[in-house]
Amino acid sequence: MRKTMTTSVGEAPPSRGRFVNTGNGPGFQVIDIGHTDYVAVVEADTAFWSLIKRSRLADALSGALPKAFTKSAGKFAKEMQRLRFGLKPSAVYFNPTERCNLNCTYCYIPETMRQSGTHMSEKKLLEALGILKAYFKTTVPKDQLPQIIFHGAEPMLNREAVFAGIEQYAKDFRFGVQTNATLLDSEAVDFLTNRNVSVGISLDAPTALVANRTRKNWDGQGVYRDVLAAMDRLAGYDGWSVICTISSENMRHLTRLVDFFHSRKVPTCLMNILRCTLPSSHAVKPSDAAAAKHFIAALDRTYELYQQTGRKLPVGNFANILLSIVAPTARRLMCDISPCGGGRCFFALAPNGDMFPCSEFIGLKKFRGGNLFKNDIPSVLASEPFKLVTGRKVEDISPCNRCAIRHFCGSPCPAEAHELNGSMNRIGAFCEFYEEQVRYAFRLIADEKLDGFLWDGWAEGMQDTVMVDYI
Amino acid sequence: MKKNVKKDVIAYRKSCKAKGTGLSHYILMDRKGK
Repeated sequence: MRKTMTTSVGEAPPSRGRFVNTGNGPGFQVIDIGHTDYVAVVEADTAFWSLIKRSRLADALSGALPKAFTKSAGKFAKEMQRLRFGLKPSAVYFNPTERCNLNCTYCYIPETMRQSGTHMSEKKLLEALGILKAYFKTTVPKDQLPQIIFHGAEPMLNREAVFAGIEQYAKDFRFGVQTNATLLDSEAVDFLTNRNVSVGISLDAPTALVANRTRKNWDGQGVYRDVLAAMDRLAGYDGWSVICTISSENMRHLTRLVDFFHSRKVPTCLMNILRCTLPSSHAVKPSDAAAAKHFIAALDRTYELYQQTGRKLPVGNFANILLSIVAPTARRLMCDISPCGGGRCFFALAPNGDMFPCSEFIGLKKFRGGNLFKNDIPSVLASEPFKLVTGRKVEDISPCNRCAIRHFCGSPCPAEAHELNGSMNRIGAFCEFYEEQVRYAFRLIADEKLDGFLWDGWAEGMQDTVMVDYI
Repeated sequence: MKKNVKKDVIAYRKSCKAKGTGLSHYILMDRKGK
């Protein structure tokens, strides 16, 4: 509670909040977004933003902007509070095996696990889905299905059990499979596509020479050709996507990768910056500035292709940054929000039933919160290991606690912060990379290019709030 | 060609029911890019 100053004539009235950046007035931060005409003004706690013509900034700060903020601040604060602390789990990242047939440079799952780990038996997998079904009935609204994403390691190594689960629980979950694509034969593709299962595959570059640098099998052989064969089999299906991991090995090829994805009619992709949770990834960590430069060039290329062909290639992780600004509650991915979605919107399940806040923690025993077959889920979600993640807030991290874009970035990722930088209350591996993305996002908004980077119909059913329409 | 007149201020926000469930390793495809 704010204290008021006591004077010799009694209690002084508190500030009425009429002035920006003093007393109870709104704390506005001005950001140079690199645009010729506009700067951004942000109130960080509520994620309130506006783009103001450079020549009108002083007028805005002393007039329309604080008034508009006062009008909407309560609503936006509630929205952010619910988004950050009020959601309940509705998805599980389900690892049906510890093993993988690949040994990618930057994998966050320990090598011993991937090489000689265990599978979950079909019986246990079905039992696990039964437990999850019962749990989600208590957390997910009736008009929504919870999501199960078979994830890895490589889930297709335990294909029979995975497919049995999808078959038996088809009406109870929306299923997805994230796979390295090397085992996606025609039969597997038919099975998954006939059941509307979302399929995510991985490819880092448009050529074998570059793609095979980071994604290869245990003999060191790249798997580029296998992935392309799987892409051919998936062509024409709406429910697939490709993930590219940005590293020092492929960042110079991102623009050509966009051309490649677009020419192959990839419905959507993710271009995720490398996670530096395990030391093996550090060798291919790009600098923030270089990664941002190449990533933004690739995003520009998606827009050029959209203008030329009328067909979009949304880059999901960047689309999410845009949404975090223009429609915070519509964001789909929960890495770039604080606390992140780990342990509160979703959790990860290991093949022995052990539960972790996120797949990123599966190799880190300290973050095991319990076991699905032995503990009830709410008690695991409330466990100390889960609280370490769900309690990690930008307000407790420097420089995030004074950063204007803290709710557009979220200071990812806790696993990285803990392993790379030694504590939960540290930043992750990248900071400037996110700064540049947000600045770029604001420039797109200023130039009215937003729709070219988001899915068609992205704003359907949403309510509008015009925050300021005059100065 | 008529040049677009730039507004002095751009500021809006859209709201919907929050359902965010994904992590960066995966995106559930319930939206088409077309």
